[in-house]
Amino acid sequence: MQQFSLLLTSLPDGILLGFVYGLAAMGLTLIWGVMNVINLSHGPIIALGMFGTFFLFMRAGVNPYVGLIPIAVVGVLLGVLIYVIAVHRVINAPHLSSLLATFSVNMIIIGLGTAALTTSPYNVDFSAGSFKIGPVTLLGTRLIAALVTMLFTGGLYLFLYRTRPGKFIRAVANNRAAAELMGVPSTRILALSFGLGTMLAMVSGALIATFFPFSILAGGSYELKSFVIGVLGGLGNPIGALFGGLILGVIEGIIPAFLETSWVPVIEFALFVLILLVRPSGLFGAKK
Amino acid sequence: MALLEIKDVTSGYGDVQILWGSTLSLEKGKLTSLVGGNGVGKTTLLRTIMGLLPPWSGTITFDGRDVSRLPAYTKAEMGLVLVPEGRQLFTDMTVLENLEMGATSQRARPHFARNLERVYEMFPRLKERSAQKAGTLSGGEQQMLAVARGIMADPIVLIIDELSLGLAPVLVLQLFDSLKLLREEGITLLLVEQNVQLALAISDYGFVLAEGKVELEGPARKLIQDKHIRAAYLGL
Ligand SMILES: Nc1ncnc2c1ncn2[C@@H]1O[C@H](COP(=O)(O)OP(=O)(O)OP(=O)(O)O)[C@@H](O)[C@H]1O
Ligand SMILES: [Mg+2]
Repeated sequence: MQQFSLLLTSLPDGILLGFVYGLAAMGLTLIWGVMNVINLSHGPIIALGMFGTFFLFMRAGVNPYVGLIPIAVVGVLLGVLIYVIAVHRVINAPHLSSLLATFSVNMIIIGLGTAALTTSPYNVDFSAGSFKIGPVTLLGTRLIAALVTMLFTGGLYLFLYRTRPGKFIRAVANNRAAAELMGVPSTRILALSFGLGTMLAMVSGALIATFFPFSILAGGSYELKSFVIGVLGGLGNPIGALFGGLILGVIEGIIPAFLETSWVPVIEFALFVLILLVRPSGLFGAKK
Repeated sequence: MALLEIKDVTSGYGDVQILWGSTLSLEKGKLTSLVGGNGVGKTTLLRTIMGLLPPWSGTITFDGRDVSRLPAYTKAEMGLVLVPEGRQLFTDMTVLENLEMGATSQRARPHFARNLERVYEMFPRLKERSAQKAGTLSGGEQQMLAVARGIMADPIVLIIDELSLGLAPVLVLQLFDSLKLLREEGITLLLVEQNVQLALAISDYGFVLAEGKVELEGPARKLIQDKHIRAAYLGL
């Protein structure tokens, strides 16, 4: 009975968190799907999103949800910049080169971030109230974050399937040389895709900042979750990423009712390995 | 003056040189064939013309303009269009989306509706399958789509690499008929073919590539009677 009441608080919480995990993973998986690059700077970029919320809200008083707009814009620009500087030159090289390139970006952001912000925790002191539905209490920040995630997922889907640049992204992901022959400037499209992936990561970080304290190193665990989700949902599949995130959220919501929370990563990664073994293309299929 | 002129072009992959000074030209409104054995560099030459591979030396002139160093994506805008070897469709996208992608360039966009009607008329099968993923089409349907996508680009010069490869004879004849149609509409065509007999039979002019160089050229009617060609490529 006590477990049941624990579950009533932890499961809805986990599910709402799962949305945001899914949003972070969408950024990783979009980049992988379009250009077959595993972005090892994903974690620090998420952390930059967190600091975006911190500075906009705590220092400038901007509402965290309004703050998502400038953070998203900066995310696209930062992603384009990272692509142009670090990724483009290794885009046709073996995977190890792009892993090293994005890992270097990872180290640079963490290095500069540590120098400027230290690694001690920051906290965004923001509350959006809470909602009671029967015995279940939902935190306003998590509820809004889940809504924002749905908005971004729907927006990304419409962008990829209904707009011209979105179709260009899918065409370049599918067959870059053919897209180029049709008149698509593929380098620009790759840069845009990296920008969008970075934007999604930063926005997820900006939302997470309203839940937990964080430091410049805080993105690491979300990066790992993004890998697990990518494998769950099928790397390269943005909608699969949302479902993968929700599955992870459910797991994180159930475990605390039965086991120590320290079991969470163990079970997540056991799942990761299991799926790689039995269904390497992910539960929802991937593009390749 | 020729519409497309390739002069002394050399190119290759890494350190491996494949083209050793290829020279050929396309006359406006004509159907030209480029034939040659496997691995002599036909596809490499086309990739170099399109800018997918940089030429090491030599010049490529299109409509009087030096286009040797222009990136591939600018070629479609000029009306220089390649239907690549192996179809290279957007397999995860629908038939209609593939056709839309064909009409990416500014020059093709205003004519989208007209060209779509044209290719659906040419290949009614594609109209029936317009919502189907290109990757799930049969081999023949995929080849139709590859050609149709090229036509959607509203080409001035349409280059087709291996039109007939792996297709049933009936379909090959049908596709060759559509080429004649395109020529009547004034499109300049360059056809790279394994089926030398058939290619030369409908072409106006022909080039034979061997070891990365044009070994022989002439009016297609003449080439088809050439002893060397009959022995080497027609097995006669
Ligand atoms: N990407 C590549 N990297 C290295 N070598 C290549 C590459 N593509 C082709 N080659 C080599 O270049 C040579 C010419 O190839 P190409 O594809 O141009 O021949 P082709 O005339 O089109 O032949 P086919 O009639 O079989 O299509 C071949 O020896 C091939 O192995
Ligand atoms: Mg070839």
